[in-house]
Amino acid sequence: MPDALTFHMGKFPAVLPGELRYARNHMWCRPQDSVLRFGFTSYAVRLMQDVYFLDWEFSDSTVVQAKQQIGHIETSKATSDLFAPIGGTIHRFNPELLKDPSGINVDNYGAGWLFEMQVPEKGVRPPKITGSDPFFGAEADTMGVQEYHDFLAANWEKTQNMLKGHM
Amino acid sequence: MSRHRLTIVLSQAQGKNPAKRALEESIVAALILEPGLDVSVVPHLYDLGPDHTGRLFLESVHGDMVLLSWLFPRAAFWVLDRDGIKGRWGETQLKPPVDEDEMDDEEAAEPEPPKGIGALGVPDRFIYCLDLRDSNSHEAYLAEIRRIAADSKARHETKQPAKAQAPAIVQLGLGMVNGTAQPTLGRALHGAEAGNGAAPPRFAPDQILQAPERRWYPVIDYSRCTNCLECIDFCLFGVYGIDGVERISVENQDNCRKGCPACSRVCPEQAIMFPDYKTPAIAGAPVGAVGALKIDLTKLFGGDTKDALSQAVDERDRELVADGRDAVGMAVGIPKRQVGKEQGPKDDLDSLMDQLDALEL
Repeated sequence: MPDALTFHMGKFPAVLPGELRYARNHMWCRPQDSVLRFGFTSYAVRLMQDVYFLDWEFSDSTVVQAKQQIGHIETSKATSDLFAPIGGTIHRFNPELLKDPSGINVDNYGAGWLFEMQVPEKGVRPPKITGSDPFFGAEADTMGVQEYHDFLAANWEKTQNMLKGHM
Repeated sequence: MSRHRLTIVLSQAQGKNPAKRALEESIVAALILEPGLDVSVVPHLYDLGPDHTGRLFLESVHGDMVLLSWLFPRAAFWVLDRDGIKGRWGETQLKPPVDEDEMDDEEAAEPEPPKGIGALGVPDRFIYCLDLRDSNSHEAYLAEIRRIAADSKARHETKQPAKAQAPAIVQLGLGMVNGTAQPTLGRALHGAEAGNGAAPPRFAPDQILQAPERRWYPVIDYSRCTNCLECIDFCLFGVYGIDGVERISVENQDNCRKGCPACSRVCPEQAIMFPDYKTPAIAGAPVGAVGALKIDLTKLFGGDTKDALSQAVDERDRELVADGRDAVGMAVGIPKRQVGKEQGPKDDLDSLMDQLDALEL
């Protein structure tokens, strides 16, 4: 298993656990029995800060396309629509967050997970979800920790420009 | 001693969220014990049709009023105005929680003074709207209502001696037990015992009446509306009309397509609100305040952000097609100002959006 990496957002260290996969929309992905669990990376949480409202467009067990809008979030610093990181069936949303979305701030890699998506066949989920996976479609690739770290590093200057005056 | 009384109306949340119900109950329980207040409960304000008892009650209140609801104060105030329940805007001091570093960045942002056409026929009384999402504790609301009551009383006493009024606790909402009916409302309150408010009313879930059906329509903030009529050109469902004094009005609210906020995006003054919409700016959050300055991370989180106009056009086309009509795209009712606006100097937000567009994520 790769080691955890740390991406430095200015003074803030965003820890990226080595065992997770990462999507380009700054969600992590963890294979968990027959489902994939998703949540926000520390990078995303740092940008948003305290979560005030979290809305999902639909309830559990809904089929979604990759990049389909699935919800909306409002935090102390930001608002954003939320999109499916990959295509598939959203098995369930984290019921704890429906009661209190601030769980995202408390434990974003653990109890503050967002939703679980169903994988096609139980037990045969390969650890790497690749672009060639027929179920997830071409846009659905996720990255390993090193790749995600490099992705953040490559875009950090642009992101900072965008945030200038807002952080 | 003055018999001046302040009317407090609590507008319940839609649905049966237990946390919201609990807050509503604790606020009402606390208010019942306060002297000088008439406390009433009505279902969700936005859903009250013209024949609903709660609406009739609101219309019967002529003095100062405090409305607690799960809506932004601006939205609640203009929903009342839309319903013909008018008054002057009562300033409140209850504000949403703000963290300290946020104060630093954003305290400079003073909303510009409104330049709208204003409401018509506003009586000389104040309506104070409090947002039930601003605090989880009934004490915060109690404190603010006490402050308002003192203000209201002081203003009243300088004006004229008070007319005597019978003490009343009117319960018109869901799950009411005891209440003292005002005579005009007697027919609607046949189920209520004439308890004279001896026992504080309790909210019992098994007694909750059928909530009104959910409604969906635009609400105009006339303190911002300049009567430019772009909304009437844009909406192809005939929601808007011109009233007898040449002012824009929501004429056929039932023509409005549920979930579609397109006209609100087209409005150049952010005067059109959909109080139930998910985005605070459209639901009636204070214009130019904290909410509007929040950065939109949609692009970063995988979305294709569109400008408000193309979003509005898409939403309108979707509703047209759903209605069995043809999509019109940009061909109909597109405000001309969008053309000229490009030439103006870019403000900070424009530059920010450009930078966002430059990100290839």
